[in-house]
Amino acid sequence: MFSLPVFFQSFEPLLWAARFTLLVSVLGIAVGLVLGALVCAAALSPSRALRGLAALWVSFFRGVPLLVQLLLFYYLLPVIGINVPAMVAAVGTVGVCSSAYIAEIWRGAIAALPKGQTEAALVIGMAPRHVWTRIVLPQAIATSLPSLVNELILLVKASSLVSVVGILELTRASQAEAATTFRPLEVYLAAACIYLAINLCLALAGRQLERGLAR
Amino acid sequence: MDAASVELSRVNAFFGPFHALKDVDLSVAPGRVTCLIGPSGSGKSTLLRCINFLEPYASGEIRIDGQLVGYETPGGKRMSGARLRAMRREIGMVFQAFNLWPHMTAQDNVAEGLCRVKGMGRAEAAARAADALERVDLGDKLASYPSRLSGGQQQRVAIARAMAMEPRLMLFDEPTSALDPELVGEVLAVMKRLAAEGMTMVVVTHEMGFAAHVADRVAFMDAGELVACGPAKDILHAPEDPRIAGFLRTYLERNAF
Amino acid sequence: MTDAAFLAHYGPILLRGFGVTVLCWAFGTVFGMALGLVITLAQRYGPRPLGWLLRVYIEVIRGTPFLVQLFVLYYGGPLLGLRLDAVPAGLLGLTIYGSPYFAEIFRAGFAAVPRGQIEAARAIGIAEPAIVRRILVPLALVSALPALVNFAIVLTKETVILSIITVPELMYRVQNMSAETYRFLEANLILALFFWALVEVISRAGRRLEAHMTRHITEGR
Repeated sequence: MFSLPVFFQSFEPLLWAARFTLLVSVLGIAVGLVLGALVCAAALSPSRALRGLAALWVSFFRGVPLLVQLLLFYYLLPVIGINVPAMVAAVGTVGVCSSAYIAEIWRGAIAALPKGQTEAALVIGMAPRHVWTRIVLPQAIATSLPSLVNELILLVKASSLVSVVGILELTRASQAEAATTFRPLEVYLAAACIYLAINLCLALAGRQLERGLAR
Repeated sequence: MDAASVELSRVNAFFGPFHALKDVDLSVAPGRVTCLIGPSGSGKSTLLRCINFLEPYASGEIRIDGQLVGYETPGGKRMSGARLRAMRREIGMVFQAFNLWPHMTAQDNVAEGLCRVKGMGRAEAAARAADALERVDLGDKLASYPSRLSGGQQQRVAIARAMAMEPRLMLFDEPTSALDPELVGEVLAVMKRLAAEGMTMVVVTHEMGFAAHVADRVAFMDAGELVACGPAKDILHAPEDPRIAGFLRTYLERNAF
Repeated sequence: MTDAAFLAHYGPILLRGFGVTVLCWAFGTVFGMALGLVITLAQRYGPRPLGWLLRVYIEVIRGTPFLVQLFVLYYGGPLLGLRLDAVPAGLLGLTIYGSPYFAEIFRAGFAAVPRGQIEAARAIGIAEPAIVRRILVPLALVSALPALVNFAIVLTKETVILSIITVPELMYRVQNMSAETYRFLEANLILALFFWALVEVISRAGRRLEAHMTRHITEGR
């Protein structure tokens, strides 16, 4: 039967490991933001080759399951002579995967801007460079913020998969805990509660952001 | 078809704190056409929507052929859904945005109500729908989906959809306001024909020409009040109230070349 | 092992794994969608407290990783007397996991139906249940279709997580094969290319389906 004391006792070791869940997610999204900006720029560039490359990037990293990507990188990096700690490989994979989604978020936000906005800037004689930095990007970044928070929530959940390459984050820690206590129900429910708490906080922050933007 | 009469007395309606209709009185005799005119936000559409209870009114009485609309007794509890539907069957309505169902052909749009409400078989409903569309000069568009029709054609399908139910009263909520100018005429022509056939009609419109030539009475609304109601020539050509004169002046200026 | 022997040995195994993958995906999509629609309708037309309960369900499932949900169901279930084999646990898990996402998609679809379409039906006296069946649900489905297809594609990728609780789908078979042959990199590369192709095929089919379903509805003049 379900035991409340066991349930509450499992929180302590799990909360400790949850820091790595947050670390992987936050670093992952940081990598994703930088790469995503580059991919988005390539997708919007006049060069056909760059556009094709960006499309390929987005299609591959959105089309292949993250778990497969993780194992692929995990086994690929040593083969091409790169020896990095598992943590770096994990963050890198999560970041590369999310860059594909983030590039699409930004592309969408830019495409959603009414054409009249840029036209209005061009007819008063603004340089195209300034149209981008003063008109397009500030609005696109603002409108994309809620989607980016959403992406971060997805990463918190996706980070549970890095447990398979041995990162001792929340999910891996709960597996270890369940193996020692033989109480998987309580332990995994406790883990679920922690994930839920993190994501509810993020969702709340996202909603605040959205409300702030609506003003 | 026996046309219905409409009687409104001291009708009030609210949107939250906003007083949308203030003690409105209006009566429309059977077979007559009344046009509601006035500035936007004056409550014309609200008044129209109260008549078939799409918008519940708060106090006062609306009666169709003496039968109270929406409530069991004046100020009493709401009538049941079934009774409301039975009442609405007698009242046709045409919307500014047409509101055709985009996933059905013109014929199916008209037939849907005949099947669902009148309980007709598919074949009979289809035949009746074809008739109704023929009467609005769309006999060749039976199988067309709304997205393939012009605005004027869509609005005529909407009129056919309402008329197929054999209503005794027709409500028009700015039926030509969403149309390109060159398409307005075909819709007004259909409405004129209906009026000549003796249908009771209440029409919210900005088409002063239609009001002048077709309406038996014109009612002017402003800020939720029904300011004046009378024969078209009195209201449009010799308005007593300065608000009407002002409205007509801006209207004429806007439409002058 | 020669290539021919390799193929003869692993070919059928991988094919069976692929079958299980497709089966899991189809099951999760169909039942997840059905459950999602039921949830949305219950939220719209059911009693208030049920609506709140379903809201909690939606938030909990959407707020936790699929892997953890599977662990609770598969390893924690027996403690509550729910003893499931890997495959039924996986199918049930996918259905539960997908349902709140589908429910939210349906909710948005319902909200996207213009009020006027419903009012037009009310104005000619059509009864509410018939309005829901004939007007609201078809239009909501059409406007929800792109998001539905999109999430069905997301679900194809989630099926690989079932391998962790030993559901013998393609990922599981390929991992076993790579452990037996020590060809980890090749195995995962093949898997990646396979899923990439699968997702491309499904998205293309989805776009076709959308074009077909909306052919009368989008402005085509």
